[in-house]
Amino acid sequence: MLSHPSLDKVREMLALQGYITEPSIVMSVFLAMELKKPLLIEGPAGVGKTEIAKVMASALETELIRLQCYEGLDATHALYEWNYQQQLLQLKLEEKSEKSLKEKEKTIFSDRFLLKRPLLQAITHDQSPVLLIDEIDRADEEFESFLLEVLSDWQITIPEMGTIKATHIPQVIVTSNRVRELSEALRRRCMYLWIDYPDFDKELQIIRAKTPNIDERLAEQICKFMQEVRTMRLEKVPGIAETLDWAQALAALHIDHLEKDLVESTLGIVLKDWTDIREVSTSLSELFEKVGVISKIE
Amino acid sequence: MPKETIKRRTDLSSNLLGFCRYLRSKGFTIGPAEISLMLEALDRIAPFETPEAFKESLAATLCRSRRQQEMFGELYDKYWKELDKAVNSKRIDHPEEKPQPSQSKKPSIQQIKNWLYGNKEEEITDIATYSAQQTLGQRDFASFSEEELGELWRVIQQIARSMAMQANRRWEKTHRQKQIDLRNTVRQNLRRGGELLDIRFRRPKRNRHKLVVICDVSKSMDLYSQFLLQFLYTFQNVDKKIESFIFSTSLQRVTHALKGYQFKESLQRLSQEVNTWSGGTRIGYSLQQFVQGYSRLLNKRTTVIILSDGWDIGDTNILEKSMRKIHGKAGRVIWLNPLAGNPDFKPEVKGMQVSLPFIDIFTSGHNIDSLKALARKLK
Repeated sequence: MLSHPSLDKVREMLALQGYITEPSIVMSVFLAMELKKPLLIEGPAGVGKTEIAKVMASALETELIRLQCYEGLDATHALYEWNYQQQLLQLKLEEKSEKSLKEKEKTIFSDRFLLKRPLLQAITHDQSPVLLIDEIDRADEEFESFLLEVLSDWQITIPEMGTIKATHIPQVIVTSNRVRELSEALRRRCMYLWIDYPDFDKELQIIRAKTPNIDERLAEQICKFMQEVRTMRLEKVPGIAETLDWAQALAALHIDHLEKDLVESTLGIVLKDWTDIREVSTSLSELFEKVGVISKIE
Repeated sequence: MPKETIKRRTDLSSNLLGFCRYLRSKGFTIGPAEISLMLEALDRIAPFETPEAFKESLAATLCRSRRQQEMFGELYDKYWKELDKAVNSKRIDHPEEKPQPSQSKKPSIQQIKNWLYGNKEEEITDIATYSAQQTLGQRDFASFSEEELGELWRVIQQIARSMAMQANRRWEKTHRQKQIDLRNTVRQNLRRGGELLDIRFRRPKRNRHKLVVICDVSKSMDLYSQFLLQFLYTFQNVDKKIESFIFSTSLQRVTHALKGYQFKESLQRLSQEVNTWSGGTRIGYSLQQFVQGYSRLLNKRTTVIILSDGWDIGDTNILEKSMRKIHGKAGRVIWLNPLAGNPDFKPEVKGMQVSLPFIDIFTSGHNIDSLKALARKLK
C-alpha cells in the first residue's frame, strides 16, 4: 500500500488507472491524501468527478464506500437502521425464556441486529476506505449539517448502544453538481476542486486512451464537434461520458469521419433531451462549418 | 548558510501571509485553519518540484469555490509580480530598507501596502461567492438582459429548490395512515414479548396548505408572472398543491398545462395565447370568472396569490366584489405588485385601492429577494 505517495506517484497512479489529468487535479488529490482532508469536487455532470474516488480507491488498494445522496435522504439511510424483522423474530424465540426485559433489550440492540449504512460502514472499516459522498447538493441542508458533524468528530452515537468511534478515518470525497449552493461551513471543512469540461486536447487524449482503435481524424472531429456543442445553450450539456459513448459507437461502426446523416442518426447518444436534439439538428450545417466538416452533397 | 536560509524562509512565509491577506481582501475566506493547511501542504511537497507545483498547492488549499479557483491564477500572478518589483526596487534604491515615500515613483513598500490594503472599493465588485447573488437578488427582473435571463432561471430554481427541501423533509408521528414506524413499534412492544399489539405509524410531514396563484400576463406583468410561477412550481415538486391561473383580458386555468415536462416553454406559449386577444387588462372581469368558476378551490387552508399592477380598464365594482368574495373564502390573500419595488410607489391606481381592504399581505415580488421573502411567508 502506498502510505506516502509523492506527487509523481499520484500522477502515475491516475495515469495507470486511465484517468487523464491536469496538474491542478493531481495536486488536489495528492494533498487531500497527504493531509487527510476531505476533498470537495464540483463541476458539471459527466466530467469524471466520481471517477476520481474510484481511481483513488484502487490506487490505495482499499475499498470504496459510496453514499449516493438524494432528496429526502436521512440518517437511517446514511448511518444505520435496526433490522426490525430479525429483532421481532428474536423476541418471538425468546418468548418463553425467563430473561428480563433489560436482557432482551440488550440482545436485540446489539451489533447482530444493526444494519450498517455507508457512513457507519466507513468509520468501522478495518482499513481506511475511500468514502464517496456523491451529489451532496441533492440532499437537504439538514443532512449537510449532520454530515459536517460526522466529518469533524468521526464518531456516531446510537442511543441504544452508545457511541461508536472511528477505527480508521476514511479518505472522503464529496461531489456536487451545484444544484444548490453548499454551506460555507462544509466548504471550509474540505479542500476544493472545480473540474470543468475538458478542453480540446484533453478530450482528445481521453478518447484516444479509452478508444484505442478509433480513427485519428474521426477522434479530432468528434472533439471539435463536442466543444462546439457545449457552447450552445442546451438543457443538458453532454459530458465526457457522452463523448466516449459516441466515439466508441462510431469506432465500432468502422467510421473514419463525421457526416451529416451519420450525426443526425446518432445524435441520441450525445444528447439526452429532445429539445436539445431538435436544437442541434436544426443548426447542424452551421455546426459543421465551425467544426470544418464538409457535408455530403446530396 | 543556515542564517541565510532562515531569513529566506521567514521572508517566504511573511510573503505568503501577505498573499493570504491580499486574497482575503478579494473575498476569499481564509482563516488560521486555511493558512496552517497551506503551510502544511507546502511542507509536504517541498522541495518544490516546479514553480507550478507551488502555485497549485496554494490554489488547492486556499480556494473554496469555483469562482475563487478561477480568480486565483490571475491574483497569484499579480501579487508575486508586484512583490518582485518591490524587492528589486528595494535593492537598488534603498539598501537600508527604509522606504522613502516622498522620493520615488517606483513601487515602494508603502505603495505595496497601499496596493494591498487600499484599493478595496475599486475591486470589490467582482469578488466573493455570495455577493454576486446578493446584488442579483435586489435587481428588478425587468432590468435583466436576454442573456442574463437564462442564468436567472437557473438561480431561481436553485434557490427555490433549496428552500423547498428545507420546508419538507421530516417524518411526523401519526395515528392514521400508511407507513409503520418500526423503530417506535419495536420499542413500544418490547415489554409484551414482541407481540405487536400497539403499532406505531409515521408519514412524511405534510403541508396541507394549498396555493392558488392568479397571474397577470399582460405585457408589463408577463415577465414577473413567469418568474413567480417558476419559483412556486419548484415547491410543488415537494408537496404543496398549486392551482394556477393566468389572465389578461380573461382568465385561463393552466394548472394541468404546467404539470408537464417542458415547464418554461409551455408557460411562454400559454401566456402568448392569452395575450393574443389582448386589449388591455381586465382584472375585475378575470377575478369574477375565477369566483364563479373556481371558488370551490378556496377554503381556510388556501393561500391566494395575485400578481398584478392593478390597472383595470373594466368596472372596478366587479373587482371589489370579487376580491371581497375571495378574501372571505380563502385563508389568506397575498397581492404582489412588482411596481411596489420602487420606493416611491403608492397604490393609487383605482383597482389597487378598491382591493386593498381585502389583502392580507401586500408586497412586490419584483426580484429574487422579494420572492425569497414570499416563500418564507408561505411556510
